[in-house]
Amino acid sequence: MKTQLNTNTPKTKVEKEPALKGTLASVLFLGFFLIFTWVSVYFLFLNRL
Amino acid sequence: MHMHKYEKIWLFFGIGSLFVFLAVLGVGAFAQGSQPPSCLTTIDPEKVDQTPPFDQPGLVKTGDNEYQLNIVASAFAYIPNQVEIPKGAKVTINVATKDVIHGFEIAGTNVNMMVEPGYVSSYTQTFDKVGEYVVLCNEYCGAGHHLMTAKVKVVEQ
Repeated sequence: MKTQLNTNTPKTKVEKEPALKGTLASVLFLGFFLIFTWVSVYFLFLNRL
Repeated sequence: MHMHKYEKIWLFFGIGSLFVFLAVLGVGAFAQGSQPPSCLTTIDPEKVDQTPPFDQPGLVKTGDNEYQLNIVASAFAYIPNQVEIPKGAKVTINVATKDVIHGFEIAGTNVNMMVEPGYVSSYTQTFDKVGEYVVLCNEYCGAGHHLMTAKVKVVEQ
């Protein structure tokens, strides 16, 4: 039997960037929530000095 | 290593806030001299009652509008448990415990300390608002923990 050569050109893999828009939005939301709580506790401290 | 653009953004924020906190800690500790309330002064917890100033606990005038408030904490009471402070006074509060760890919190103010056997906890506070403040133990110290309170009254001079 004849060895078959693979003549198909290898498919170039197109790497898709994962869609992280929602992740970014939720990470930033959590981040700003944390900063908001830190700042409010700091102002509570200053208010009671 | 390939990294998503968004990933770089939140890593930058995360690591950046670490450095912000380190800077705040460094400036507070080394430039402004902030310390925990119980950091240097030690006391023999078995001889608190004989050691000045805790042999005569209470409010002592130390200067013009400056006071020292010495308090002995033990299960489950503060001595004295009622103090009157003139409005506007700058009070250095020293607390020592005779037995276990207690808390010392004047509710509604920044005075909030842990009182550990062997150490004197100190905090300086200026009382600008007239009123009655509750002092609470906020470290669980035993069966009577919830009954361990005292009162601070800030009165017009």
